[in-house]
Amino acid sequence: MQRAHHPLVQLAIQLVLAALAVVALYPIVFMALNAFKTSLAYMTNPVGLPPGFSYVENFQAMVVRFDVLRLFANTAWYILLALLLSHAVSVPASFALAKLDFPFRGALRTAMIATMIVPAITMLVPVYVMLANWGIVNSYWSVVLVWAALAVPGNVFLLSSLMRGIPREVLEAARTDGAGYLEALLRIVLPLSLPGLLTVTIFNVTTWWNDLLIPLVFLQSDETKTVTVAAATIMGRFSLDTPLLLTGLLFASVPPILLYVLLQGQIRKGLVIGAVK
Amino acid sequence: MATGGAIGRGPAAGGSVSPPAARAAPRLTLRQRESLAALASLLPAFLLVGVVVWWPTAQAFARSVTDWNGMTARLVGLANYRAILGSNEFWTALRTNVVFALAIPGILVVCLVVAVLLFEQVPGWRFFRSVYYVPTILSAAVVGMLMRILFATNGPVNNLLGRVGLASLQLPWLSTVPTAFVVLLFVFYWQTLGQGVLIFLAALSAVPQDLIEAATLEGAGWWQRLVGVIIPQLVPAIAYFVVFNLVWAFVGLFAIVYTVTGGGPGYGTTSVDLYIYRKAFEQGQLGYASALSVVLFLIVLVISAAQVRLFDRYTTTD
Repeated sequence: MQRAHHPLVQLAIQLVLAALAVVALYPIVFMALNAFKTSLAYMTNPVGLPPGFSYVENFQAMVVRFDVLRLFANTAWYILLALLLSHAVSVPASFALAKLDFPFRGALRTAMIATMIVPAITMLVPVYVMLANWGIVNSYWSVVLVWAALAVPGNVFLLSSLMRGIPREVLEAARTDGAGYLEALLRIVLPLSLPGLLTVTIFNVTTWWNDLLIPLVFLQSDETKTVTVAAATIMGRFSLDTPLLLTGLLFASVPPILLYVLLQGQIRKGLVIGAVK
Repeated sequence: MATGGAIGRGPAAGGSVSPPAARAAPRLTLRQRESLAALASLLPAFLLVGVVVWWPTAQAFARSVTDWNGMTARLVGLANYRAILGSNEFWTALRTNVVFALAIPGILVVCLVVAVLLFEQVPGWRFFRSVYYVPTILSAAVVGMLMRILFATNGPVNNLLGRVGLASLQLPWLSTVPTAFVVLLFVFYWQTLGQGVLIFLAALSAVPQDLIEAATLEGAGWWQRLVGVIIPQLVPAIAYFVVFNLVWAFVGLFAIVYTVTGGGPGYGTTSVDLYIYRKAFEQGQLGYASALSVVLFLIVLVISAAQVRLFDRYTTTD
């Protein structure tokens, strides 16, 4: 709106914004600072600065005692598999729903997209029993399958909306050049959909990294857990040693924060798409 | 791959490469081939969603009228539903979700105000915009654990209150139901600010500039422009924000309630999804849990139906 302000108005606005920024950041700064305290130092003064940053035993304990590196590797591996699976099925389906002509297209698209409203908790009990019968509960395949399946409707919704924008002539041209279906999909549709695919990928990766419910239900043994579940369960058992727990939470927070710092613009766009469309 | 050449060459998509053109292509019209290609493209996605989402959802309905332990199910009619509606625990759990739903207008106003302030583009606004979003990207579970530490009886919040002379506000935050809700709603607000601000900033920058200029020419002041011109333009974004968070208030609370209060004290802050989790995975009452999840699904369905109506209205009057 009006961009020229009285200096006092400007200062007042900045003060309000700054106060909110303190509220937004304090818990995160608190977490980072107290990771460098001993349990005793924390109990004597939970709000002050740590005496120094040379005390790194909490970090060592994370690596040695809680095997945080394996937790990271677990989480990354499950997410990678779920991404491959959900993208492998979402991309062709989105292409067909956006660009191919066939009976019941509208109905199929509606059915797929309407699935977005099914809450994970509604199907959780039966899907647990089903996967238990398949013998894959407590194997990461259960988490991969459920994550991927729950992501497909939303991914198809976004990708097919974006693919509708691909001009029909581009596809016709490819066809006259002798490109088969698979070629058209891989060489034309996929490259043109990369920005949308990136948005969807960021969204999926952060959702899964942050997910508690599904890995908590399906993965029972400690060595198969994801970082987020471990932070809320295994490390929570050590809640008497608050700095140790805070260190674990810090580990779990670093990847999403890094992702955000690196891909801020993309993340903002992705979030806003739903709101303005 | 080199021959044939239509986009709609069905069998090729399936991956069995033998001699597809020779077997499948010759007698089919272009339209049929396109339909085959579509079928092959859709099958994997619909198979995955059908087996892992639709079938279990149907099962939840079917099992909700049984006494089910995972192996054997005994038909009990509507007994589960009667038990749910007659139990205090369910209504207490639903109360938790309703408390969150009722807290949405508050965070809506906060987000709108902050977005409008940011939109004035005072120096540093980009920095603030980035900072507000940081809590949003963190896991609700991690944030929940963090807040449990912050609001512990001997924790930093009470410590700070003591230092600034507000010792009377040093409460056992997580040990009584009203204060536990204060903490839970604080977590909700803390994590939602960034999302709301981004949505409303995007909507603000989409407001046509000439509308604002026209109002200025007619002598409208800053406040009149905001209320008379800009806010009405934000209605679709506001509707999106409210509906998104309304659905979340009914199906998204698990992680924060589980970590901040564990649903306690007692059942005091248990949400319906946490209640389902406890019934199913801690007490093994799968039929009862299925009936609960059907009830929750119906609630979400009603909200979603209202949402479709709402959005239809905005897109048609456009």
